[in-house]
Amino acid sequence: MDFYFGLAQIVGVHTLLGLSAYIVLLTGQVSLAQAGFFAVGAYTAGMLTVLAGWHLVPALGASALSGAAIACAVGFPALRVKGLMLVIATLAFGEGVRLFFFNFDYQIARGDIKVGPLGGEGFRQIRFFPENGWTTGEVMLFIWLFVVAAMALLWWFDRSRYGSVLRAVGEDELAAQSVGINLTAVKVSAMTIGGAIAGVGGGLYAHYTTHIEHTSFNILVATFAVAYPIVGGLRNVFGTLLAVIFVQAFLIEGLRFLGDWRNLLFGALIVLAMNLRPSGFLGARRRA
Amino acid sequence: MLDFLQAVSDGVLFGATYALIGIGFTLVFGVMHKINMAYAAASVGGAYCGLLVLKVMGSAPPALVFLGAFAAGGLLGWIVYVACFHFIPLSSPLATLMSTVGMLLLIDEVIVHVTEGVPLTYPAAFDDVMLRMGEFTMRGDLLLVFGVAVLCMAALLLLLYRTKLGLATRAVSQQPVAARLCGIRLERVNATTFIITGLLGGIAGALIGASVGALSPLLTTPLTVKGLIVTVIGGLGSIPGAIVAGLLVGGFESVLQMYRGVTERDLYVMLLLFVFLVFRPGGIFAAKGGRD
Repeated sequence: MDFYFGLAQIVGVHTLLGLSAYIVLLTGQVSLAQAGFFAVGAYTAGMLTVLAGWHLVPALGASALSGAAIACAVGFPALRVKGLMLVIATLAFGEGVRLFFFNFDYQIARGDIKVGPLGGEGFRQIRFFPENGWTTGEVMLFIWLFVVAAMALLWWFDRSRYGSVLRAVGEDELAAQSVGINLTAVKVSAMTIGGAIAGVGGGLYAHYTTHIEHTSFNILVATFAVAYPIVGGLRNVFGTLLAVIFVQAFLIEGLRFLGDWRNLLFGALIVLAMNLRPSGFLGARRRA
Repeated sequence: MLDFLQAVSDGVLFGATYALIGIGFTLVFGVMHKINMAYAAASVGGAYCGLLVLKVMGSAPPALVFLGAFAAGGLLGWIVYVACFHFIPLSSPLATLMSTVGMLLLIDEVIVHVTEGVPLTYPAAFDDVMLRMGEFTMRGDLLLVFGVAVLCMAALLLLLYRTKLGLATRAVSQQPVAARLCGIRLERVNATTFIITGLLGGIAGALIGASVGALSPLLTTPLTVKGLIVTVIGGLGSIPGAIVAGLLVGGFESVLQMYRGVTERDLYVMLLLFVFLVFRPGGIFAAKGGRD
């Protein structure tokens, strides 16, 4: 049973990652920076619980805030450019964050071992869950609490004026601007909300794996983040969830018996899927 | 001061390879208004294929290995075109972005799988030659890298501005519909562009392998990011921009490597990109009339 709980934890965290890219994608922007916000959230929460001794819940709040703040700060310069230029800018930012944590040392001694992030070695012993005696099932429920909250929030956005504004910008920037929508405000706000969601996801990720390092936030993770909503389609949040389950539960766990060849298949399947369904499984309904 | 000049000259010489990679990205962007994310991976893949020459013939002069990488790069470019662009409608930009990222992962994994993740040594040429001017030196292999890269760029510019094929390519990049009305076959021009950029990429990959001394699958991600940064700094779609930006990034990273060490150097290259995004988002040679 623990295996399935563990799988559900992975699906939950990746859903948060996918949702953070989903809201940015609604405004028509492809951001490969989500792995960077994810990393910021992971290190923030990890350092607060391990080094400062905080409880996890306020630490996750801090992750959300730091993810949002960084996303907002990146959003302003990066969103001056759009389309493919933004892809490049965010990709470079994500790699920049990874390289930052590759060079980031901040260790303090606790007892006879040193804890804290140590550059390329990573950040070990984020042991909040085991120290407080949480079982795998409880951890899973805790993670899914945040997933459900994020999905509900985005679901509500989709039904509110704000959601319509987001989609209007995504459909046609010029038209949206001509009816008085402030493009920069909309895009930066979407980026900020995405950053907060990714930050929480990262904080949860750091705590269930107990060990994070810079390679956990590489270009592959950034690709995953945008791949979920693109593969799942932009009709609603469930497309993203569906895509996460398809990728994580079926492609990654289900094909484990293929061994090394699984990774080969993964890239090839993306290429194939995009050739067959260029607009995703659940493509956004286009109103003429 | 001398150290500084030395770092700049080494970096600029090596930067020629970044310029080649940047040209590949920018050329495809100019013609199709798409980004081929798999380009740097395909270039490294081409360089790996060049090593097959050594495997088949036992021992071969480095020039033959380079030639193998050149040809394999072209072939890989064509494969990327067919797999990621040919069948996907031009109207879905997200789909080609994802398909090329998929291709990037696929090429990466194939390399890891075939070489078992172990870096392979790459044959170098002129690595024992050293130009000296007092304390100031220039490495022979870096000079070769620079020379070959300049030759490739000259050949490319000749091709683009002096041949019918180049005329067709430029026509498609300016006005695809009008070009088609003049009887230019869009698909063929697109495929040719991919083959040409692939050839350039194969050479670039081989030059990088030769000057570093080894090839590793770990090269693909930084090369992709740096190639894209070069493209943005130079201005998307501008070939002279890519050349200047490539040399600039090469020199810049070499200087920072001297002052801040190899692990931090790439961080500053990203910062350089953001400086450009804030103060000059169109790049050094911004195209007229804010194209996306």
